[in-house]
Amino acid sequence: MSAQPMNAQAGHIEVRDLNISFKARGETVQAVKSVSLNVQPGEFVSLIGPSGCGKSTLMNAVAGFTQFNSGSLTLDSKRIEGPGSDRGVVFQQYSLFPWMTVRRNVEFGLKMKGVSQAQRETQARTLLGLAGLLAFENHYPSQLSGGMKQRVGIVRALATSPQVLLMDEPFGALDSQTRSVMQEILTNMWQKLRLSVLFITHDIEEAIFLSDRIYVMTARPGRVKAEIKVPLPRPRRPEMMDTPEFQTMIRSIKKLIREESLAAMGSELSDGGYGGLSMEIGPEGVAHVL
Amino acid sequence: MEPPPAAAPSYPTERKPVRQPKLSAIEGGANTAAGEARGFRLKDRLHSTSGGYLLGALSIGAVLLGWYLATRYKLDFYVRFGNIPAPADVWHSVLEVNHSSKFLVNIGISVRRVLLGFLLAAGGGVLLGILVGRYRIFRSLTMPAMEVFRPIPAIAWVPMAIMLWPSNEVSIVFITFLGAFFPILINTIHGVEEIDEVLFRAAHSLGAREKDVILYVVIPGALQHIFTGLAIGMGVAWVSLIAAEMISGQFGIGYFTWEAYSLISYPDIALGMITIGILGLLCSKAINIASKLAMPWMAMSAGAKK
Repeated sequence: MSAQPMNAQAGHIEVRDLNISFKARGETVQAVKSVSLNVQPGEFVSLIGPSGCGKSTLMNAVAGFTQFNSGSLTLDSKRIEGPGSDRGVVFQQYSLFPWMTVRRNVEFGLKMKGVSQAQRETQARTLLGLAGLLAFENHYPSQLSGGMKQRVGIVRALATSPQVLLMDEPFGALDSQTRSVMQEILTNMWQKLRLSVLFITHDIEEAIFLSDRIYVMTARPGRVKAEIKVPLPRPRRPEMMDTPEFQTMIRSIKKLIREESLAAMGSELSDGGYGGLSMEIGPEGVAHVL
Repeated sequence: MEPPPAAAPSYPTERKPVRQPKLSAIEGGANTAAGEARGFRLKDRLHSTSGGYLLGALSIGAVLLGWYLATRYKLDFYVRFGNIPAPADVWHSVLEVNHSSKFLVNIGISVRRVLLGFLLAAGGGVLLGILVGRYRIFRSLTMPAMEVFRPIPAIAWVPMAIMLWPSNEVSIVFITFLGAFFPILINTIHGVEEIDEVLFRAAHSLGAREKDVILYVVIPGALQHIFTGLAIGMGVAWVSLIAAEMISGQFGIGYFTWEAYSLISYPDIALGMITIGILGLLCSKAINIASKLAMPWMAMSAGAKK
């Protein structure tokens, strides 16, 4: 997608010592506890962990939807203070505006930027063409399949040329076949665009296949348990999933997550925290497994 | 030959939208689903357009026949048809009222009152509904007062309205307004509240400011419920108008109907009633058409009606 002029140096997310808690039924729940992580410009980073570990909360904070209690959150050294079009967001649920056609959905961000109608149309059509969706530009979202809706959602998030793409389990609602096709489309798109991506998932294979780096989070309160570099070459091909290397990585991440899931259940049973089961690794709570 | 009516089960005259599986979604969105296969069975024929007209004519014909027979033989079985005008008498008065412009003037006055009251209610109800649905401060400020007034039927306002407003005309419009206002307000609030939170997040992350959110998310998102409110509001507006005209009115189709009773010109009562029915029907049809024009995306979802 050469239509997108990308600044190679932009798109650096830095999360430092972030704490997020919220009140639920009068009780304060700590969702994210002193999390530090970063996404380098043009890097694809996944955040993985057991369900309810606060990974979505963390992403919502980066997107600017959620307030955080302490720590710092910056994009290219600028503090993140609310949502903005410098961070494209792809949601888990379908989030297209049902009352706009596919093209109007894609044009929306450009319209908010004050781009003229003619220019918006050209740009939207170019992007839709690249995503193979041009034939559906005048369709309404209700006429599309789940995979297509999510593709339009990605195209819409990319239309404003953000430095960063935040994706919250974007393929979670899709069946496994559509899901693997979407993963391939996404990795190809990223290969061309080279923008920073923060990708939330609970699917280990998906995280390995797509990412340069993976952060594994602990059960609530969510902390970073491990940081894993994915040494697979680019561009990624689906065949890579069958290599022993890939399988080894799956096993080691599975082990890390299983410990956390057990810890989460243990804390529910004993109601006394999970400290005994989790391993404390390194001074910043970050382990370099590979 | 049309199928014999005796064999026809009583179908409703209006065709219910049949929920079809979303073929278009499975086929990748191309809206190429061919027309429904033509059925040869009686049931399928009756569901066709011409079959629908036939059944409609039958149903109205049955009412007219029953009316004719009841008045012809002056049925008296607790319900008394002795003084009820026959269909032919009503038809005569249709021809008669057209000799002067009085009848049309009455219709015109009623339509003007209803439109004025309804449009004011639509404007006010939708505007306030959006503010209340979107901003908590508006809810806290206005809803307690609204909840006090809401249970009072518009007709109960008649004596107060006559004292309150400088002319009879204004007080009738006010009562019509009141009738339409609350259904529109409540449905608009509901519509705004129903909008999926993720759409607001999506809009914000695409750079939308509050003005844009209202314009491109809140209003279109609430539109379906707003139109529900408008349809109900229009119905209640007519109810309130007719009642107000009968009680306090000069002119208007409600006044015409009540006057016919006072003057013992019974066919005109039926004429007034039928006219009110037709006017109400036209108004609700107009809202129906407006809603289809305003929400083209609704036609595309959930088994597009052809």
